[in-house]
Amino acid sequence: MSCHFEEDLTAYVDGELPAARRVEVEAHLGGCTGCRATESLLRHTVARVAELPDFVPSVNTRRAVLAKLDALPVPWWERLRTLLRPAVLVPSAGLAVAVGLALVVVGPGPEAPEELEDPAVMELAANLELVEDYELLGLDSPEDLEVVASLHELEVVQ
Amino acid sequence: MLKVAAGDRRAFAWLFDRYHASVARFAFRFVGDRERAEELTQDIFVKLYRNAKAYQPTARFKTFLFRVATNHCLNEVRRGEYRVAHTSSEAPDGEETGGVEMAGPDGDRPDQALAGRELERAVGDALRSMSDRERAAFTMCRFEGMAYRDIAEALEASESAVKSLIHRATLAVARRIEELQAGTVPARSRA
Repeated sequence: MSCHFEEDLTAYVDGELPAARRVEVEAHLGGCTGCRATESLLRHTVARVAELPDFVPSVNTRRAVLAKLDALPVPWWERLRTLLRPAVLVPSAGLAVAVGLALVVVGPGPEAPEELEDPAVMELAANLELVEDYELLGLDSPEDLEVVASLHELEVVQ
Repeated sequence: MLKVAAGDRRAFAWLFDRYHASVARFAFRFVGDRERAEELTQDIFVKLYRNAKAYQPTARFKTFLFRVATNHCLNEVRRGEYRVAHTSSEAPDGEETGGVEMAGPDGDRPDQALAGRELERAVGDALRSMSDRERAAFTMCRFEGMAYRDIAEALEASESAVKSLIHRATLAVARRIEELQAGTVPARSRA
C-alpha cells in the first residue's frame, strides 16, 4: 500500500473526490493491482460496518435531559423577561398606579401644598364626614357651615 | 434553534426528538459504553440548550450539533472522566456486554448472532485503537453518513485532514475485520 493514490482510495469509495481526481483514480485503478485490492478491501469494510446494529438510547434519556434543564439556574435576564411579560407587567403597573393614587389622596407627601400645613385645614381634612356633608349640601356661607358643624348635636337633641 | 435560543422549550424538545438518537450513536461509538453514552448524550443536549445563542444560522444545525458533541466527548475523554471502553472486547465469553443489542436478522439464527457479535467486537477493538479524532471522524462518516465537508466543520479541521483521518480509521477497521475472517482474533472473542 505504498502507492501515492492509496490515500485517496477511501474518499474515492465514499464518493468524496472532486470529479477530476476521481477520473485520475479510476484510470490508475485499471493498472494498479495493489490499489484495486485496497479498494476492494475498503468497500468490503464499509459494507460490513453498515451491517452493525443501531445503538438505541434508553427512553429515559428524554426525561433525564428535561429534568436537568429544569434544574438549571434561571439567568437574571430570563427572570427580568418573565417580569416584563404583559400578563405580569400590566396588573403590576395597575396596582402601582392605584397605590400611588391612594397615597396622593389619603396622605400628603413631603411636597404637599403649603395650605395643608395649616393645623386648621388639616383638622378639616381629617374630619371627612363633615367635608362630605358640606359637599352634599352645596353650602357656601360661613353660617351654613356652622349649622352643618352642629348637625350631630341636633341629632342628639332629637 | 433560534427559538431554542429564545428559551422555547417545545422547540428544544422537538430538536431533541429529532437528533438525540444520532448523538447517542456517536457517543456510544466514541466511548464504547451504553451507560456512558447516555450520560454524554444528556450532557451534550444540556450544553446545546445553554449555548443555543452561539448558534449561527449560516451553519447546518446537524454540523453545529456534532461540533458540540465532538468537543464534549473529546474533552471528557481527555479529562479522564471517560475511558474509551469498548467493553465488547473486554467482556468474558458469552456475557452481555452492555453494548448494542444484536436485533433484527442477526438475532434469528445463533450463528448469525455470533457473527454479528464478532463483527461488533472487531470494530470495537479497532475504534479503541484509533486516535480520538480518527474515531470521531470515522463515526460521523460511517454511522451518521455525514459528508467530509460537514465532518471537517464539526472537527474544525480541513477536508484534506478529514480525508486522511477517515482513510486511516477505515484501514484500521479493515485490518480487524480481515483478522476476524482469517480466524486470527483472540479465541475469547470467538467463543
